[in-house]
Amino acid sequence: MSPAQRTLPTERPGTLRASRPNLMLGIAAAVGSVAAATLAVYALKGLAPVVSLSVVYLPAVLLVSAYWGLWLGLATAFLSAAAFNFFHLPPVGRFTISDSRNWVALAAFTLVAVAVSTVADVARSRALEADRRRAEADLAAALARELLAGSETAAALAAAARRVAEALGLSSASIELGVSESSERRRALGLTGADGAQIATLLVPRRLSADAEQRLEAHVVPALEALVAIALRRDALQAEAVETAALRRSDDVKTAVLRAVSHDLRTPVTAIVAAGHALGSDSLTAGERTELSEAVVQEGEQLAALVDKLLDLSRLQAGRAEPRRDWVSLEDVVLAARDRLAESGGAVRIAIEPDVPPVRADAAHLERAFANLLENAVRYSGGLPVSVHVRRTGSQAVVRVVDQGPGIDAAERARIFEPFYRIPTRPASTSEPWPGSGLGLAIAKGFVEANDGTISVDSLPGQGSSFVVSLPIEEAAVSEHEPQPAAPLPT
Amino acid sequence: MSDQPRPRVLVVDDEPQILRALRVILRESGFEALPASTGEEALDLAALQHPDAGIVDLLLPDIDGVELCRRLREWTDIPLIVLSAVGDEDAKVRALAAGADDYVTKPFGPRELVARLQANLRRIAPGPEEAEVHVDGLDVDLARRTVLIDGREVHLTPTEFDLLRLLVRNRGRLMTHRDLLVSVWGPGYGDDTQVLRAHIANLRRKIEPPEGRRYIRTDPGVGYRFAG
Repeated sequence: MSPAQRTLPTERPGTLRASRPNLMLGIAAAVGSVAAATLAVYALKGLAPVVSLSVVYLPAVLLVSAYWGLWLGLATAFLSAAAFNFFHLPPVGRFTISDSRNWVALAAFTLVAVAVSTVADVARSRALEADRRRAEADLAAALARELLAGSETAAALAAAARRVAEALGLSSASIELGVSESSERRRALGLTGADGAQIATLLVPRRLSADAEQRLEAHVVPALEALVAIALRRDALQAEAVETAALRRSDDVKTAVLRAVSHDLRTPVTAIVAAGHALGSDSLTAGERTELSEAVVQEGEQLAALVDKLLDLSRLQAGRAEPRRDWVSLEDVVLAARDRLAESGGAVRIAIEPDVPPVRADAAHLERAFANLLENAVRYSGGLPVSVHVRRTGSQAVVRVVDQGPGIDAAERARIFEPFYRIPTRPASTSEPWPGSGLGLAIAKGFVEANDGTISVDSLPGQGSSFVVSLPIEEAAVSEHEPQPAAPLPT
Repeated sequence: MSDQPRPRVLVVDDEPQILRALRVILRESGFEALPASTGEEALDLAALQHPDAGIVDLLLPDIDGVELCRRLREWTDIPLIVLSAVGDEDAKVRALAAGADDYVTKPFGPRELVARLQANLRRIAPGPEEAEVHVDGLDVDLARRTVLIDGREVHLTPTEFDLLRLLVRNRGRLMTHRDLLVSVWGPGYGDDTQVLRAHIANLRRKIEPPEGRRYIRTDPGVGYRFAG
């Protein structure tokens, strides 16, 4: 019996154990049971003829043969025959066997010992085999759980290796993806995939018991090969799924860009081309000529603005809008954003509370964000003034851009920050379309978030919308900088 | 046409700058523009002024351009040309199905637009029926059913000749797959575009020399037109 087998964990009560009990215990049991039988024969002498009482020794032989095997069983048989002979058969006190019937008793004990120990050995080795198989199955199940239940194979390998070490009684074991070399202390066992290429390496101590060696080769390595291969395939499929999802998202964006390009870029281009052709005609009046050249300039500007927006958006989506942070006065950026808008008209009222400290952000980003928010607000406000409030709330600088437009349905609110999204329905009262590109709010959100701010919208349908930008105030800003000049600015 | 009144063209586009430029371009080509910036306005204008043709942008603020074509078609047979965008093939096909005669893709050249207008106006007011058509090396005798390429006679099957005749007599105009199939094969064959494609391919092999003179233009997914 090798030590490894002795460490097999499971033993069922009431059946033969897979391993034999201790040898010293066996000798004690043999001597003890023979002594007990000898004493019992004294007690039974009055009830039956002595010669027939040799059967009293049988339980001792049975017991020892069954649990301690053939040799101790045989020894017990001989000891029983000798004790019976010495203590009970005439001439008592001597080993001389006068009666041939006593030879029969010895032969019977020997036979019982051989038969019982053989049967017990067979049963024991079956039990051992069953235990071993169960252990292999348990190990395979444990490995499958470790390798397949987790989300990532690389992380599960350590747990799987620990299971292998525990099951085989190894001092250590590890599994590494790819090919690893044997070292002085560790031996590398290659795990190959279905195509024969090595996918991982099992590293075990150099010195292993023959049994551990055999189990490694026959059971552990094949199981690990299959499981690691499946786990890696699953990783690959997961990565593929993630990639596919990303591609689909980027396809959606591309489709949206194409649609926007197909309409929003084409309309000004069409107007410019048509005006250019018309300008070449001979019958133009002075008024028409002015109109047409104004159209070229106006549409060209619109086109340039749209190209700027597309560039902003692609920069934001590519993650290349790295803010160049500096102390930024919100008053400055809001006013600059309004000035940018001034030509297209629309009244914007700005009120800035005196205690708003500067924020740490990229001024150009914030200006683009507010310019887009103001443009959006003015467009939807239908000629009514738009108001901007800047104030401090706790550790946040909060800018609210409030319009008096038609408002935004709750269902639309989540989507309006998506690039190219436009509210599909126009109010019946106006024949004017919503002319925007669907980019402004996406750009505003992108720039605000690039500067660690947040943007949200409150809206009462029919009464207007309020876009709220919150930017973090750093503590240093409060102490280092004087408060902003007070008083709402004239519009 | 100099002594005739100028054909009046209803122009529907929500972009005022485009309307303004089209007014000048159409006037320059001998048309009079009736501008409208919404679908409703266009329907009113068409009912009151009885234009000779219409140019309709597919994207209008109130009603869909396709819907506008359908509503105009309910009571008038004037040529309708839609302004569509690349990538908006679906709307273009729906507009043609709703009764539009032709389309121009934005941004369009004014010459192209005017040529389409003129080709489609010919449908309404055909000149004296031509017995022979001569186009750039191709001579088609409609009465005798003969075709000459550079003076050399080409043999066409009756179906090929019918197709060619239809295209030639509508030169410059878009002939949809359906127009061609229904006219040449009959009303039950309107969807047999594979058959049409095969015959057009044969016709092209016979009348278009390999070095590249092209008489039949393909409008992918929509139809064919004879370049005249």
